[in-house]
Amino acid sequence: MTQRKLDFSFREKLNKIVGGNHHNYCYQCGSCVAVCPAARFSDDFNPREILLKTLLGEEEDLIRSDSIIWKCTNCYSCYERCPQDVRPVEVIIALKNLCAEQGVLPGDINKFSETLIKTGRSVIITSTVNRRRQELGLPELKDVNVKELQTIIE
Amino acid sequence: MAKKISVAPFWGCMIPVKYPQMELSVRKTMEQIDVELVDLDQFTCCPDPIYFKARDKIQWLTIAARNLAVAEEAGQDIVTMCSGCTSTLLEAKFMLAEDSKLKNQVNEKLKKINKEYKGTVKVKHIVVMLRDDVGVQRIKESINRPLIGVKVGIHYGCHLLKPSQIMHIDDADYPSLLENLIQALGATPLTHREKLLCCGKGCMDDEMPLEMTYEVFDSMESVGVDCMGLICPTCFNSFDMGQILIARKMNREFNLPVIYFCQLLGLAQGFAPEEVGLHLHRIKVDRIMEMIGASEKPLEMVA
Repeated sequence: MTQRKLDFSFREKLNKIVGGNHHNYCYQCGSCVAVCPAARFSDDFNPREILLKTLLGEEEDLIRSDSIIWKCTNCYSCYERCPQDVRPVEVIIALKNLCAEQGVLPGDINKFSETLIKTGRSVIITSTVNRRRQELGLPELKDVNVKELQTIIE
Repeated sequence: MAKKISVAPFWGCMIPVKYPQMELSVRKTMEQIDVELVDLDQFTCCPDPIYFKARDKIQWLTIAARNLAVAEEAGQDIVTMCSGCTSTLLEAKFMLAEDSKLKNQVNEKLKKINKEYKGTVKVKHIVVMLRDDVGVQRIKESINRPLIGVKVGIHYGCHLLKPSQIMHIDDADYPSLLENLIQALGATPLTHREKLLCCGKGCMDDEMPLEMTYEVFDSMESVGVDCMGLICPTCFNSFDMGQILIARKMNREFNLPVIYFCQLLGLAQGFAPEEVGLHLHRIKVDRIMEMIGASEKPLEMVA
Protein backbone atom coordinates (compact mmCIF):
# COMPACT_ATOMS: atom_id res chain seq x y z
CA MET A 1 0.00 0.00 0.00
CA THR A 2 1.35 3.39 -0.96
CA GLN A 3 1.35 6.12 1.62
CA ARG A 4 -1.12 8.91 0.99
CA LYS A 5 0.29 12.33 0.32
CA LEU A 6 -0.99 15.07 2.61
CA ASP A 7 -2.22 18.16 0.83
CA PHE A 8 -2.75 21.14 3.10
CA SER A 9 -3.61 23.52 0.27
CA PHE A 10 -7.10 22.04 0.34
CA ARG A 11 -7.55 23.06 3.96
CA GLU A 12 -6.41 26.58 3.13
CA LYS A 13 -9.05 26.75 0.40
CA LEU A 14 -11.72 25.53 2.82
CA ASN A 15 -10.65 28.07 5.45
CA LYS A 16 -11.70 30.86 3.10
CA ILE A 17 -15.35 29.70 3.04
CA VAL A 18 -17.55 30.98 5.88
CA GLY A 19 -17.52 28.34 8.62
CA GLY A 20 -15.02 26.17 6.76
CA ASN A 21 -12.20 27.11 9.13
CA HIS A 22 -13.89 25.37 12.05
CA HIS A 23 -12.72 22.01 10.63
CA ASN A 24 -9.33 22.77 12.19
CA TYR A 25 -10.73 22.19 15.68
CA CYS A 26 -11.80 18.57 15.06
CA TYR A 27 -10.04 16.05 17.31
CA GLN A 28 -11.90 13.05 15.88
CA CYS A 29 -13.89 12.12 18.97
CA GLY A 30 -16.89 10.88 16.99
CA SER A 31 -19.60 12.59 19.06
CA CYS A 32 -21.09 13.71 15.75
CA VAL A 33 -21.44 10.11 14.57
CA ALA A 34 -23.39 9.08 17.64
CA VAL A 35 -26.16 11.62 16.98
CA CYS A 36 -26.11 11.59 13.17
CA PRO A 37 -29.31 10.21 11.58
CA ALA A 38 -27.59 9.82 8.20
CA ALA A 39 -24.91 7.67 9.85
CA ARG A 40 -27.65 5.59 11.47
CA PHE A 41 -29.53 4.98 8.23
CA SER A 42 -26.56 4.58 5.90
CA ASP A 43 -23.65 2.15 5.75
CA ASP A 44 -21.20 4.67 4.42
CA PHE A 45 -22.06 8.13 5.77
CA ASN A 46 -19.89 9.11 8.72
CA PRO A 47 -19.32 12.75 9.68
CA ARG A 48 -16.11 11.97 11.61
CA GLU A 49 -14.65 10.34 8.50
CA ILE A 50 -15.68 13.33 6.39
CA LEU A 51 -13.81 15.58 8.83
CA LEU A 52 -10.79 13.26 8.73
CA LYS A 53 -10.72 13.31 4.93
CA THR A 54 -10.98 17.08 5.13
CA LEU A 55 -8.04 17.28 7.54
CA LEU A 56 -6.02 15.02 5.25
CA GLY A 57 -6.92 17.09 2.20
CA GLU A 58 -8.63 14.31 0.25
CA GLU A 59 -10.21 16.72 -2.16
CA GLU A 60 -10.90 14.25 -4.96
CA ASP A 61 -13.09 12.15 -2.72
CA LEU A 62 -14.99 15.03 -1.19
CA ILE A 63 -15.48 17.56 -3.96
CA ARG A 64 -17.73 15.70 -6.40
CA SER A 65 -21.38 15.80 -7.39
CA ASP A 66 -21.70 12.20 -6.12
CA SER A 67 -19.69 12.81 -2.94
CA ILE A 68 -20.91 11.23 0.29
CA ILE A 69 -21.38 14.75 1.72
CA TRP A 70 -24.70 15.10 -0.15
CA LYS A 71 -26.26 12.46 2.11
CA CYS A 72 -26.02 14.82 5.10
CA THR A 73 -29.56 15.45 6.40
CA ASN A 74 -28.67 19.00 7.52
CA CYS A 75 -30.28 18.24 10.88
CA TYR A 76 -27.71 20.15 12.97
CA SER A 77 -27.43 17.39 15.59
CA CYS A 78 -23.65 17.34 15.13
CA TYR A 79 -23.50 21.12 15.57
CA GLU A 80 -25.48 20.67 18.79
CA ARG A 81 -23.24 17.93 20.18
CA CYS A 82 -19.69 18.75 19.02
CA PRO A 83 -17.50 19.58 22.05
CA GLN A 84 -15.02 21.44 19.84
CA ASP A 85 -17.43 23.82 18.09
CA VAL A 86 -16.42 22.30 14.76
CA ARG A 87 -20.00 22.72 13.56
CA PRO A 88 -19.55 19.68 11.27
CA VAL A 89 -22.69 20.42 9.24
CA GLU A 90 -21.32 23.89 8.46
CA VAL A 91 -18.01 22.37 7.37
CA ILE A 92 -19.95 19.99 5.13
CA ILE A 93 -21.87 22.95 3.67
CA ALA A 94 -18.54 24.75 3.12
CA LEU A 95 -17.37 21.64 1.23
CA LYS A 96 -20.55 21.88 -0.85
CA ASN A 97 -19.68 25.52 -1.60
CA LEU A 98 -16.32 24.27 -2.92
CA CYS A 99 -18.24 21.82 -5.13
CA ALA A 100 -20.17 24.83 -6.48
CA GLU A 101 -16.95 26.76 -7.12
CA GLN A 102 -15.60 23.83 -9.08
CA GLY A 103 -18.83 23.34 -11.01
CA VAL A 104 -19.68 19.92 -9.58
CA LEU A 105 -23.02 20.58 -7.86
CA PRO A 106 -25.75 17.93 -8.16
CA GLY A 107 -28.27 18.92 -10.84
CA ASP A 108 -31.15 19.34 -8.38
CA ILE A 109 -29.31 22.07 -6.50
CA ASN A 110 -28.49 23.97 -9.68
CA LYS A 111 -32.11 23.84 -10.79
CA PHE A 112 -33.37 24.92 -7.39
CA SER A 113 -30.92 27.82 -7.17
CA GLU A 114 -31.76 29.03 -10.67
CA THR A 115 -35.46 29.16 -9.78
CA LEU A 116 -34.65 31.13 -6.66
CA ILE A 117 -32.45 33.65 -8.44
CA LYS A 118 -34.89 34.04 -11.34
CA THR A 119 -38.09 34.38 -9.31
CA GLY A 120 -37.04 35.20 -5.73
CA ARG A 121 -38.89 32.09 -4.57
CA SER A 122 -37.72 28.52 -4.28
CA VAL A 123 -41.07 27.09 -5.39
CA ILE A 124 -42.57 27.96 -8.77
CA ILE A 125 -46.05 29.52 -8.77
CA THR A 126 -48.15 27.54 -11.24
CA SER A 127 -51.53 28.67 -12.57
CA THR A 128 -53.35 26.50 -10.06
CA VAL A 129 -51.67 28.12 -7.04
CA ASN A 130 -53.51 31.43 -7.08
CA ARG A 131 -56.77 29.66 -7.98
CA ARG A 132 -56.45 27.48 -4.90
CA ARG A 133 -55.53 30.47 -2.77
CA GLN A 134 -58.60 32.27 -4.05
CA GLU A 135 -60.78 29.27 -3.15
CA LEU A 136 -59.36 29.47 0.37
CA GLY A 137 -59.98 33.22 0.54
CA LEU A 138 -56.27 34.05 0.64
CA PRO A 139 -54.68 37.08 -1.07
CA GLU A 140 -53.14 36.58 -4.51
CA LEU A 141 -49.39 35.95 -4.57
CA LYS A 142 -47.55 38.80 -6.24
CA ASP A 143 -44.11 38.77 -7.80
CA VAL A 144 -41.39 39.44 -5.25
CA ASN A 145 -38.64 42.04 -5.60
CA VAL A 146 -36.29 39.80 -7.53
CA LYS A 147 -34.30 42.69 -8.99
CA GLU A 148 -32.98 43.65 -5.55
CA LEU A 149 -32.13 40.02 -4.85
CA GLN A 150 -30.19 39.75 -8.10
CA THR A 151 -28.38 43.03 -7.47
CA ILE A 152 -27.04 42.07 -4.06
CA ILE A 153 -25.67 38.69 -5.18
CA GLU A 154 -23.89 40.00 -8.28
CA MET B 1 -57.41 43.02 28.02
CA ALA B 2 -54.04 41.79 26.85
CA LYS B 3 -51.84 44.02 24.75
CA LYS B 4 -52.26 43.52 21.03
CA ILE B 5 -49.32 41.84 19.35
CA SER B 6 -48.29 43.08 15.91
CA VAL B 7 -45.79 41.15 13.77
CA ALA B 8 -44.71 40.76 10.16
CA PRO B 9 -45.50 37.22 8.96
CA PHE B 10 -42.68 35.63 6.99
CA TRP B 11 -44.61 33.04 4.99
CA GLY B 12 -41.64 31.63 3.11
CA CYS B 13 -42.07 29.72 -0.16
CA MET B 14 -43.49 26.29 0.66
CA ILE B 15 -46.48 27.47 2.70
CA PRO B 16 -48.07 30.10 0.43
CA VAL B 17 -47.37 28.13 -2.76
CA LYS B 18 -47.65 24.44 -1.85
CA TYR B 19 -49.53 24.39 1.46
CA PRO B 20 -51.70 27.53 1.61
CA GLN B 21 -53.92 25.69 4.10
CA MET B 22 -51.23 26.37 6.70
CA GLU B 23 -51.31 30.09 5.92
CA LEU B 24 -55.09 29.97 6.17
CA SER B 25 -54.92 28.34 9.59
CA VAL B 26 -52.43 30.95 10.83
CA ARG B 27 -54.54 33.89 9.62
CA LYS B 28 -57.76 32.43 11.10
CA THR B 29 -56.34 31.44 14.47
CA MET B 30 -54.25 34.56 15.07
CA GLU B 31 -57.36 36.69 14.58
CA GLN B 32 -58.93 34.82 17.51
CA ILE B 33 -56.12 35.79 19.87
CA ASP B 34 -55.59 39.39 18.76
CA VAL B 35 -52.32 38.89 16.94
CA GLU B 36 -52.15 41.40 14.13
CA LEU B 37 -50.30 40.18 11.03
CA VAL B 38 -48.77 43.06 9.07
CA ASP B 39 -47.93 41.66 5.63
CA LEU B 40 -44.78 43.13 4.08
CA ASP B 41 -44.55 42.59 0.33
CA GLN B 42 -40.79 42.94 -0.04
CA PHE B 43 -39.65 39.58 1.38
CA THR B 44 -38.06 37.01 -0.93
CA CYS B 45 -37.20 33.36 -0.20
CA CYS B 46 -35.42 33.28 3.17
CA PRO B 47 -33.32 31.63 1.34
CA ASP B 48 -33.55 27.95 2.13
CA PRO B 49 -30.91 26.60 4.53
CA ILE B 50 -30.10 23.44 2.58
CA TYR B 51 -29.98 23.75 -1.20
CA PHE B 52 -29.25 27.42 -1.76
CA LYS B 53 -26.85 27.55 1.17
CA ALA B 54 -24.97 24.62 -0.38
CA ARG B 55 -24.38 26.73 -3.46
CA ASP B 56 -22.95 29.86 -1.85
CA LYS B 57 -23.01 30.75 1.85
CA ILE B 58 -22.25 34.43 1.25
CA GLN B 59 -25.11 34.80 -1.22
CA TRP B 60 -27.35 32.91 1.18
CA LEU B 61 -26.37 35.20 4.03
CA THR B 62 -26.79 38.36 1.95
CA ILE B 63 -30.32 37.48 0.85
CA ALA B 64 -31.24 36.60 4.43
CA ALA B 65 -29.80 39.91 5.65
CA ARG B 66 -31.87 41.77 3.06
CA ASN B 67 -35.04 40.11 4.36
CA LEU B 68 -34.13 41.06 7.91
CA ALA B 69 -33.42 44.63 6.79
CA VAL B 70 -36.86 44.81 5.14
CA ALA B 71 -38.51 44.10 8.50
CA GLU B 72 -36.20 46.53 10.31
CA GLU B 73 -37.14 49.29 7.89
CA ALA B 74 -40.82 48.61 8.50
CA GLY B 75 -40.23 48.59 12.25
CA GLN B 76 -41.73 45.11 12.60
CA ASP B 77 -40.47 41.94 14.20
CA ILE B 78 -40.76 38.76 12.13
CA VAL B 79 -42.84 35.70 12.89
CA THR B 80 -41.95 32.62 10.82
CA MET B 81 -44.21 29.67 10.02
CA CYS B 82 -41.56 27.29 8.70
CA SER B 83 -38.63 25.81 10.57
CA GLY B 84 -36.38 26.31 7.55
CA CYS B 85 -37.07 30.05 7.41
CA THR B 86 -36.58 30.23 11.17
CA SER B 87 -33.24 28.48 10.84
CA THR B 88 -31.98 30.70 8.02
CA LEU B 89 -33.02 34.00 9.56
CA LEU B 90 -31.81 33.19 13.07
CA GLU B 91 -28.54 31.71 11.84
CA ALA B 92 -27.95 34.75 9.66
CA LYS B 93 -28.53 36.99 12.68
CA PHE B 94 -26.12 34.86 14.71
CA MET B 95 -23.37 34.85 12.07
CA LEU B 96 -23.63 38.58 11.48
CA ALA B 97 -23.46 39.28 15.21
CA GLU B 98 -20.55 36.88 15.65
CA ASP B 99 -18.36 38.31 12.88
CA SER B 100 -18.30 42.07 12.31
CA LYS B 101 -16.12 41.72 9.20
CA LEU B 102 -18.73 39.46 7.67
CA LYS B 103 -21.45 41.94 8.63
CA ASN B 104 -19.56 44.77 6.90
CA GLN B 105 -19.06 42.60 3.83
CA VAL B 106 -22.79 41.85 3.65
CA ASN B 107 -23.78 45.45 4.31
CA GLU B 108 -21.50 46.57 1.44
CA LYS B 109 -23.68 44.44 -0.84
CA LEU B 110 -26.91 45.74 0.67
CA LYS B 111 -25.71 49.30 0.09
CA LYS B 112 -26.28 48.73 -3.63
CA ILE B 113 -30.01 48.68 -2.95
CA ASN B 114 -29.85 51.35 -0.21
CA LYS B 115 -30.44 48.91 2.57
CA GLU B 116 -28.57 48.17 5.76
CA TYR B 117 -28.83 45.30 8.20
CA LYS B 118 -28.56 46.68 11.73
CA GLY B 119 -29.35 43.64 13.84
CA THR B 120 -32.34 44.99 15.72
CA VAL B 121 -35.10 42.80 14.31
CA LYS B 122 -36.40 39.86 16.34
CA VAL B 123 -37.32 36.59 14.64
CA LYS B 124 -39.61 34.00 16.21
CA HIS B 125 -41.27 30.86 14.94
CA ILE B 126 -45.01 31.17 15.47
CA VAL B 127 -45.05 28.50 18.19
CA VAL B 128 -42.38 30.44 20.09
CA MET B 129 -44.42 33.62 19.80
CA LEU B 130 -47.44 31.68 21.08
CA ARG B 131 -45.49 30.44 24.09
CA ASP B 132 -43.62 33.65 24.94
CA ASP B 133 -45.80 36.56 23.82
CA VAL B 134 -49.36 35.25 23.61
CA GLY B 135 -49.06 32.75 26.43
CA VAL B 136 -50.86 29.52 27.20
CA GLN B 137 -53.57 31.29 29.17
CA ARG B 138 -54.66 33.45 26.23
CA ILE B 139 -54.64 30.40 23.94
CA LYS B 140 -56.86 28.50 26.37
CA GLU B 141 -59.31 31.40 26.50
CA SER B 142 -59.71 31.25 22.71
CA ILE B 143 -60.73 27.61 22.74
CA ASN B 144 -64.34 26.49 22.58
CA ARG B 145 -63.93 22.92 21.37
CA PRO B 146 -61.04 21.38 23.31
CA LEU B 147 -59.46 18.38 21.67
CA ILE B 148 -60.22 16.11 24.62
CA GLY B 149 -58.99 12.58 24.15
CA VAL B 150 -57.02 13.28 20.97
CA LYS B 151 -53.56 11.78 21.27
CA VAL B 152 -51.07 13.83 19.29
CA GLY B 153 -47.71 12.43 18.25
CA ILE B 154 -45.36 15.38 18.27
CA HIS B 155 -42.70 15.84 15.62
CA TYR B 156 -40.34 18.70 16.43
CA GLY B 157 -38.27 18.55 13.27
CA CYS B 158 -34.64 19.63 13.35
CA HIS B 159 -34.40 23.31 12.64
CA LEU B 160 -36.61 24.73 15.38
CA LEU B 161 -34.33 23.56 18.18
CA LYS B 162 -30.86 22.98 16.78
CA PRO B 163 -28.32 24.34 17.24
CA SER B 164 -29.58 25.61 20.59
CA GLN B 165 -26.62 28.01 20.73
CA ILE B 166 -28.34 29.90 17.90
CA MET B 167 -32.01 29.06 18.26
CA HIS B 168 -32.35 29.72 22.01
CA ILE B 169 -35.80 28.16 21.99
CA ASP B 170 -35.79 25.07 24.16
CA ASP B 171 -33.70 22.16 25.41
CA ALA B 172 -32.77 20.38 22.16
CA ASP B 173 -32.81 16.94 23.83
CA TYR B 174 -35.77 17.31 26.19
CA PRO B 175 -38.01 19.99 24.72
CA SER B 176 -41.39 20.85 26.22
CA LEU B 177 -42.58 23.71 24.00
CA LEU B 178 -44.94 21.71 21.79
CA GLU B 179 -46.09 19.43 24.60
CA ASN B 180 -47.30 22.48 26.53
CA LEU B 181 -49.01 24.04 23.52
CA ILE B 182 -50.75 20.77 22.57
CA GLN B 183 -51.93 20.43 26.16
CA ALA B 184 -53.33 23.94 26.05
CA LEU B 185 -55.65 22.74 23.26
CA GLY B 186 -57.03 20.03 25.54
CA ALA B 187 -55.28 17.28 23.58
CA THR B 188 -52.81 14.73 24.95
CA PRO B 189 -49.27 15.00 23.64
CA LEU B 190 -47.63 11.59 23.38
CA THR B 191 -43.93 11.16 23.52
CA HIS B 192 -42.40 8.44 21.39
CA ARG B 193 -38.91 7.09 20.78
CA GLU B 194 -38.35 8.92 17.47
CA LYS B 195 -39.85 12.24 18.53
CA LEU B 196 -36.64 14.05 17.60
CA LEU B 197 -35.67 12.11 14.49
CA CYS B 198 -35.09 14.08 11.29
CA CYS B 199 -37.85 13.79 8.65
CA GLY B 200 -35.11 13.00 6.12
CA LYS B 201 -35.96 15.65 3.56
CA GLY B 202 -32.52 17.28 3.45
CA CYS B 203 -30.71 14.04 2.67
CA MET B 204 -29.97 13.49 -1.01
CA ASP B 205 -30.37 9.74 -1.23
CA ASP B 206 -32.94 7.50 -2.92
CA GLU B 207 -33.76 5.35 0.10
CA MET B 208 -32.76 7.02 3.36
CA PRO B 209 -35.36 9.82 3.62
CA LEU B 210 -38.27 7.41 3.35
CA GLU B 211 -36.66 5.01 5.82
CA MET B 212 -36.44 7.82 8.36
CA THR B 213 -40.04 8.84 7.75
CA TYR B 214 -41.05 5.21 8.21
CA GLU B 215 -39.26 4.97 11.57
CA VAL B 216 -41.07 8.06 12.84
CA PHE B 217 -44.46 6.60 11.87
CA ASP B 218 -43.60 3.22 13.33
CA SER B 219 -42.60 4.91 16.57
CA MET B 220 -45.78 6.98 16.75
CA GLU B 221 -48.02 4.05 15.91
CA SER B 222 -46.42 1.94 18.64
CA VAL B 223 -47.67 4.39 21.29
CA GLY B 224 -51.10 4.71 19.69
CA VAL B 225 -51.34 8.29 18.46
CA ASP B 226 -54.46 9.56 16.68
CA CYS B 227 -52.63 12.13 14.58
CA MET B 228 -49.28 13.75 14.11
CA GLY B 229 -48.68 17.38 15.09
CA LEU B 230 -45.89 19.38 13.49
CA ILE B 231 -44.72 22.89 12.70
CA CYS B 232 -42.78 22.76 9.43
CA PRO B 233 -44.01 22.48 5.83
CA THR B 234 -40.96 20.49 4.77
CA CYS B 235 -41.58 17.89 7.45
CA PHE B 236 -45.25 17.94 6.42
CA ASN B 237 -44.27 17.06 2.87
CA SER B 238 -42.23 14.12 4.16
CA PHE B 239 -45.06 12.77 6.27
CA ASP B 240 -48.28 13.49 4.35
CA MET B 241 -47.06 12.54 0.89
CA GLY B 242 -44.57 10.21 2.58
CA GLN B 243 -47.38 7.99 3.84
CA ILE B 244 -48.57 7.42 0.29
CA LEU B 245 -45.01 6.53 -0.76
CA ILE B 246 -44.55 4.23 2.23
CA ALA B 247 -47.79 2.42 1.41
CA ARG B 248 -46.63 1.99 -2.18
CA LYS B 249 -42.96 1.17 -1.68
CA MET B 250 -42.84 -0.41 1.77
CA ASN B 251 -46.29 -1.91 1.83
CA ARG B 252 -47.44 -0.49 5.15
CA GLU B 253 -50.39 1.83 5.73
CA PHE B 254 -50.23 4.09 8.76
CA ASN B 255 -53.17 6.30 7.86
CA LEU B 256 -52.24 9.01 10.35
CA PRO B 257 -53.48 12.56 9.73
CA VAL B 258 -50.56 15.00 9.70
CA ILE B 259 -51.62 18.34 11.14
CA TYR B 260 -49.81 21.69 11.31
CA PHE B 261 -49.99 23.20 14.80
CA CYS B 262 -52.19 26.16 13.83
CA GLN B 263 -54.64 23.77 12.18
CA LEU B 264 -54.94 21.91 15.49
CA LEU B 265 -55.39 25.27 17.21
CA GLY B 266 -58.08 26.12 14.65
CA LEU B 267 -59.99 22.90 15.31
CA ALA B 268 -59.86 23.65 19.03
CA GLN B 269 -61.10 27.18 18.36
CA GLY B 270 -64.15 25.62 16.70
CA PHE B 271 -63.28 25.95 13.02
CA ALA B 272 -64.43 23.20 10.66
CA PRO B 273 -61.64 21.13 9.06
CA GLU B 274 -62.14 22.81 5.68
CA GLU B 275 -61.92 26.26 7.30
CA VAL B 276 -58.32 25.47 8.17
CA GLY B 277 -57.70 23.61 4.91
CA LEU B 278 -57.54 20.08 6.30
CA HIS B 279 -59.56 18.83 3.34
CA LEU B 280 -56.45 19.37 1.23
CA HIS B 281 -54.41 16.78 3.13
CA ARG B 282 -53.91 13.26 1.80
CA ILE B 283 -54.88 11.69 5.11
CA LYS B 284 -58.29 12.96 6.26
CA VAL B 285 -59.26 13.91 9.80
CA ASP B 286 -62.78 12.43 10.01
CA ARG B 287 -61.93 10.22 12.98
CA ILE B 288 -60.49 13.14 14.95
CA MET B 289 -63.67 15.11 14.30
CA GLU B 290 -65.73 12.19 15.59
CA MET B 291 -63.59 12.08 18.71
CA ILE B 292 -64.27 15.73 19.50
CA GLY B 293 -67.94 15.37 18.66
CA ALA B 294 -67.98 17.39 15.48
CA SER B 295 -68.56 14.75 12.84
CA GLU B 296 -71.94 15.98 11.62
CA LYS B 297 -70.35 18.19 8.97
CA PRO B 298 -69.04 15.91 6.23
CA LEU B 299 -65.70 16.81 4.71
CA GLU B 300 -65.78 18.26 1.28
CA MET B 301 -63.49 16.29 -0.98
CA VAL B 302 -61.34 18.41 -3.23
CA ALA B 303 -59.47 16.77 -6.08
